[in-house]
Amino acid sequence: MQRVEGIYYLLRYYSRRTITGDMRKTGKVMGLRRANDPPLLILTSLAEGPKHGYALAQDIAEFAGVKLSPGALYGAIARLEERGLIEALPEVERRHPYQVTAAGSAELAEAMRDMRRVVDVGTHRLGLLKGRLA
Amino acid sequence: MGRGTVRRSNLKWYPRSWRDRYGEDLAMFLQDRYGTGPIPMSARVSMVWSGSTERLRAGGIFGTSADADTRIRGASLLVLCAWGLFVVAGIAFASYSQHWPITMPRTHPWLPVAAMGAAQIAVTTGVLILMVAGLLVLPALVHLLRSESWRSMWALVRAAVISATVAGAASVVIIAWNHHLGPSPTATTPSALRAASAVGGLLVVGALAASSVTAVAIVYRLDLSHRVTHLLGVLAMAMAGVLFVIFAGAMTWWMTLVVHEPWFLGSLVPRYQSAPAPLAVIMLGLVMVIGLVLAGVGTARIAMVMGRTRKAPTPTRYC
Repeated sequence: MQRVEGIYYLLRYYSRRTITGDMRKTGKVMGLRRANDPPLLILTSLAEGPKHGYALAQDIAEFAGVKLSPGALYGAIARLEERGLIEALPEVERRHPYQVTAAGSAELAEAMRDMRRVVDVGTHRLGLLKGRLA
Repeated sequence: MGRGTVRRSNLKWYPRSWRDRYGEDLAMFLQDRYGTGPIPMSARVSMVWSGSTERLRAGGIFGTSADADTRIRGASLLVLCAWGLFVVAGIAFASYSQHWPITMPRTHPWLPVAAMGAAQIAVTTGVLILMVAGLLVLPALVHLLRSESWRSMWALVRAAVISATVAGAASVVIIAWNHHLGPSPTATTPSALRAASAVGGLLVVGALAASSVTAVAIVYRLDLSHRVTHLLGVLAMAMAGVLFVIFAGAMTWWMTLVVHEPWFLGSLVPRYQSAPAPLAVIMLGLVMVIGLVLAGVGTARIAMVMGRTRKAPTPTRYC
């Protein structure tokens, strides 16, 4: 029994290490790593202020060009709320607006910092700042 | 049927607890996005996928949303489903191997004999594990039978009983017919018997599916204590080991015959004298592999939850 658990934890440790690297595990689990991950898009949209589902989807379509399906949108909302990264506000016209929590803001900031690092390196290596490819 | 009803019918894929929390929001979202027009197929598919995933999460089979006991229960049910798949594969496997002891020559007999013996012992152990699990849940089952919620399950139970009875009767007829013909090569088996066997197989699969759905529905309604749930988890892990032994035994038997007696496997397929890997045997192997994967996932989840539960600090009692 202990051996089985040991093997399991070993596999889990290495799989997490391989997948997430030095990023915080929440980032991977919540899908805050890629720019078009629904949780990241939702947190980014809510950073502006509370919105209900349809307003969220419209905002995301405008700033990211991503049209989230109903299943993906509400699946991500449920996960974010479950992990305390967003919270529902009292119902308005049969719709719950959602707002980002302090923990959600911190996660979003962490994800932005990670992405910024990649963007900075890519920008520098392509020489975009010097206007070579601009 | 009005548009509102159509909108809400898309929510049926989600579990009740999810619908209670997000159902109204999602229905209003559909209303806002699609108005009175039809919902595109891609959106419907996304809700089917998302709803099914939420059901698995709520049942503790996927993710970490459910509490520890529900996750152990869900993982144990995964192992139970794996056992169901092995039963299907085992019935077909037994029909292929039933004439093997008679027709097998006495060259290199020890390995397939040992493999088959190990598989048979494992099957007996699996049945014993199931019986112990049944005894463990019996008090909760009796409690459920006496409660009002049992009435809502009656349709499921009736379907399972009817399908099991029909499949059982069909199997008895087919087996009797097969035994009446004796150990003749499959190539000379009447086509009527082959067709009847195929129908019988489908009936058995249907009965197992209906029984599994009913068993899952019943298990989720049982009021099991924390201790009983953990014991069921341990039994499920033992069952996963049993399934592995059955798989190893069956594969060893098959591989030994492929190497030493390929004519026997060839005799399973009409018009082919030598077929070391008949399609039917490969399909059986695949069903077993799927079962093993399910059992492996279930076992890993049980070990994970139990490991976390053990590490969690226990509340201090002040006497």
